[in-house]
Amino acid sequence: MSAERGSGEVLVLRPGPVGDDLDAVTPALTGAFAAAREALEAGRPVAVVLDAGDLLGQGSPLDAAVATGLVGMVRTLGIEGAKPGWRVNVVAGGEGDEAAVEETVAMLAGSSLTGQLLTVGGANLGKVVP
Amino acid sequence: MSGAGTAIVTGAAGGLGGRIGERLAEAGHDLVLVDLDPAVEEVAAAAGAGAVVADLTKADGVDAVLDAAGDDVAVLVNNAGITRDARAVKMSEADFAAVIEVNLVAAMRLTLALEPRYRDGAAVVNMSSRASLGNFGQANYSASKSGLVGFGRALAQRWAPRVRVNAVAPSLVDTPMTQAMPPEVLAKMVARIPAGRIGTPDDVAGIVAFLASPEAGYVTGQVLFACGGRSVAP
Repeated sequence: MSAERGSGEVLVLRPGPVGDDLDAVTPALTGAFAAAREALEAGRPVAVVLDAGDLLGQGSPLDAAVATGLVGMVRTLGIEGAKPGWRVNVVAGGEGDEAAVEETVAMLAGSSLTGQLLTVGGANLGKVVP
Repeated sequence: MSGAGTAIVTGAAGGLGGRIGERLAEAGHDLVLVDLDPAVEEVAAAAGAGAVVADLTKADGVDAVLDAAGDDVAVLVNNAGITRDARAVKMSEADFAAVIEVNLVAAMRLTLALEPRYRDGAAVVNMSSRASLGNFGQANYSASKSGLVGFGRALAQRWAPRVRVNAVAPSLVDTPMTQAMPPEVLAKMVARIPAGRIGTPDDVAGIVAFLASPEAGYVTGQVLFACGGRSVAP
């Protein structure tokens, strides 16, 4: 998991690939939870950036588990954060969508969106979105 | 050994897991029932099934299931799960991690460890949850249950056409876990279910049995919400 300051004060969380390492899954999800909570409690927006293919399970099964797990977590944080005004979202893109992902993350700095899965590019069109 | 092959059910000491086992036995499978709770031995004895008391978060727990599983596994139902509910602001990292470890990682470890044992046409059914879509007080549980969905989607593609992988997503189910909730809390939650009642173990076990059966032979990588309509209601 890498954390960085994105545009504005958005905390950007990108899970690193876990590949086939089962022991890396719990730390990846728990680390993201802790980092997201800390930022949200400090009033910062959070963007979890994921590979759109992982949401559909097109790569490693464990990376897919982490990616979709983070979507579930973000949705719950969106529900719980309605009152305090937390802003926490997922941005997903496929290959070649890097610029659009960055643009979307930058947009989130000034947005009231929360709990949403924002998919850029066409990787998920015609597919079952999680 | 039956022609229908072996069916393994985890979390089988509980009300839902036990009923799932019964349905799979009715479909002709030899049963292996697994739980951390030694009460699974009584459930298995009553069903004429094999029992494994094992902690699936440990490698030796998975080994114990492999020893009992044989080499003709037709069905695996990853039903074992725990809750450690709290609002995110109050949730300890240990409670977050524990739920991920049991509900998600242990299920993945067992599913992957069984890879050489599945017969052609085998089915894995993961117990997800309506809460995978988000649920107040369940950041850990939501993550674990949505994680199972992604895991299943990936395996469904990787293992096709030999093994199908699907998930069932119930809402509240009438088991000792929900019977222990304060009645007024439970009533409020049931009021949000369009079906107007709590789910029964049968409601869910029937869907599991369907997804495990040849009737669902063209279904893989999917989630079936057996939640009385809760997933679409306000």
